[in-house]
Order: sequence, then C-alpha cells, then structure tokens
Amino acid sequence: MRGRRRGAAGLALGALVVALFAVAIGASTAGGERTQDGHLIVSLDGGLAPLTLPRDRPAPVAVRLAGGLQTTDGSLLPRVTRVELSLPGQGVLDTHGLPMCPTRKLRDATTDGALEACRDALVGGGRLEAQVHVPNQPPFAVHAKLLAFNGEVRGRRAVIFHGFAADPPTVVVLPFLLRLETGRLRTRLVADLPPELGPWPHFAHFEVRLFRRFRFRGHDRSYISASCPIPKQFTAGFFSFAKASFTLAGGQRVGTSITRSCRARAN
Amino acid sequence: MRKIVIVAALLTLLGGAVAVAAEPPTRAEYVAQLEGICKPDAAATQVAMRGARADLRAERLPVATAKFAKATKIFGGTVKKIAAVPRPPEDEARLAKWFGYLNRQESYLQRITAQLRAGRAIKAQRLTARFIHSGNLANNVVLAFGFNYCSFKFSRYG
Repeated sequence: MRGRRRGAAGLALGALVVALFAVAIGASTAGGERTQDGHLIVSLDGGLAPLTLPRDRPAPVAVRLAGGLQTTDGSLLPRVTRVELSLPGQGVLDTHGLPMCPTRKLRDATTDGALEACRDALVGGGRLEAQVHVPNQPPFAVHAKLLAFNGEVRGRRAVIFHGFAADPPTVVVLPFLLRLETGRLRTRLVADLPPELGPWPHFAHFEVRLFRRFRFRGHDRSYISASCPIPKQFTAGFFSFAKASFTLAGGQRVGTSITRSCRARAN
Repeated sequence: MRKIVIVAALLTLLGGAVAVAAEPPTRAEYVAQLEGICKPDAAATQVAMRGARADLRAERLPVATAKFAKATKIFGGTVKKIAAVPRPPEDEARLAKWFGYLNRQESYLQRITAQLRAGRAIKAQRLTARFIHSGNLANNVVLAFGFNYCSFKFSRYG
C-alpha cells in the first residue's frame, strides 16, 4: 500500500445539483425503485447520510447503494458481464493523501486478511449475493462480505471491492474504475466481471456503503462530500441520485435510476 | 335478388370487420400503442422543463412557473390520450389503479404550478415530494408492462 498525493480538486461525485424542490419525506418507495424488462427486474435503492447539508460548500457524507436483479418467475438469472454505477457530477470524491490498496494484496485474502493488508485504504463495505448454477446440481446462493478500498488500476483511480464468502470459500476482487463523463450523473464506477469467474456465478444483489474520514497534513478530509445547493427560498430539494446499469451476456443492457432528496442546512 | 345477396355479403363482411376492430388489445399491443403516444410527450416535457432548475436557482420564479405550467399541460394531455386507449381486459383493475396515480400526479402538478405562481415556494416543495412519490407508486403498479416513455422519470422534469 502506498500513500499518494492527488490533485486537490478531487473528483466530481456526490450529488447534488438539486433539480426541483421538496421536503425529504421519502419520495422513494420501499425497496427502492424498480424497472422490468421482460421477466427481469432491476432494482436500485440508496441514499446519502446525513440528508441535511450546507447549500454552498461540500460536507462529509456517506453514500449507500443497494441493487440487483431478480426474475419474475424464479428462473435462472442471466449472467452479468459489466456493472455500472452512475452518480451525480457535483460534489467531491477526495482521495488526496488517502493510501491505496494494490489488488494483488487482496487476491486470495479472507476479509480479515484484506483488512490487515489494506486497512488504511478502506473506504467502505457491504455485501454481495450471487446465484451459483453448477451443471447437474441444484442452484445455491453465495453471500459474500464486501470491503471497498481506494486504489488504482492501470493508472486510473478505482474503488476496489473485495468479496469473501466462507461457504463455499470464495474470493472475488472487483475493481470499479472511475470515469468522468458528461451529463447529470457523470461520475461512473464501471466494473467488468472477469471471465475467470467462470460461467457459474450469476450476480444477484449488492449493498454497499462508501464513507471514510481521514486526516492528511493536519487537515480533516472526507472520501465523499456533497452539498445541497438549492435556492434559498426552498428548504429541501430532489435530485437524480444514482443509476445502475447491468450489461448481460449477449450484450443486452438493463438498468434503473433513483431520485433522492436533501435538506439545506443553515450554515 | 342478386343485389340483396351482395348487400347481405357486404353487411356480413362489415360486421366481421367491426368485430375485429372491437377486439381488445393484448398487453403487448397496448404497451406499444401507449409508448407511441408517450414518446413525443416525454420529449416535449424535457424541452419544456429545460433550464427550470437554473431558473429556480437564479430566483426567476415566474420563468420556472411558466415551464411547470407547460409541463403540466403536456402531462394532462398525455393522460387524456392514453386513457382513451382500449385496455386489455385482464389488466383493467391494475390499469385503473395506475390511472388513479397518474390523475393524482396531474393534480399535484397543477397545484405546484399554482403555488409557484403565488410565490409559495415551500408549499410547492411539499407538493413536489408527493408528485414524485405518486410517480414511483404508479411505476410499481405497471412494472410488468415494461413501460419506458410512459413510466415516471424524475429526470424529465429538470
């Protein structure tokens, strides 16, 4: 692991040009938003914490995202080859002075082993569920604990997810590369599921929370910061918070997006 | 006599045609027809609402209000058009519930516009929360239909 300086500006992440206005009374529905394509349902849920943020400057936040795929008839899930998570382009993802974890330290590591190797680079955690379909056997589910680390892959910033399941013993290291694009949800985390995973595991569900406070050169920093830049005549606002897209084996893409709210804090 | 036979045959054919036309649509046909109606209106809504966020931020409330009024009109027009389309009988109950939510959304939009026009920002803010919530509930009711343009998408509103 190594510490590394980064451009101070940080990445645009986090959310938060607020689209309209409104109170934060739960515009979301239980279980998040869903869309259906044929017999496949894509779901996405998540949010920011805290919800009350300054209007004019970013403050530390945690981002939670949960989503996945299910079939309406309980049939086999299609294989996912790429996962893309898009987040709003305003706000800050700051890795300035935050150590990085090389993927080689995570391969073959248990959760404890990964923490031991890269604790300084930890930026979040969660869980992952996959369906495993081995020929001539009934399908079974694998529940993995996820850790998220700050990292870099081929010179590009990344959030590296380490998943470990004890039964059956499974380790997966999945780098989500950070891409900056145009549009409202212009910060994208993109992971290509490696062919080494084989044809048997089928991605089903994930839940992840990203949050990290750290200190660098005497200054308190936050991995993710956001503001709630709503007009002063309003007290709260809604914004497009996230989008999840899944590319399936065969090239078809399915996805859904969610809207969330924030409240403006009196500074 | 020959004339009567021809007229009778024509009437039979016509009756058959009427019977074919009155046959209720399948869900796939219904979805395709509605998406055809919603697509241009969804695009028109995006155009109408373009810049509304910046207007609000710059405190150009009357400009933003005018954009909301236009979006409200488009929404109401779309609901009216799609409500007139014959529905698949097996989906009647579900679609009735969906249209209930759509009507509620239309009402919220009208009230948001009125509150903005009156300069009551906080009231408009509260109604917007309800508008979005109803939109999400509406989407859940017709999830199995796989709508794209006819589903509620917040991103179309600025």
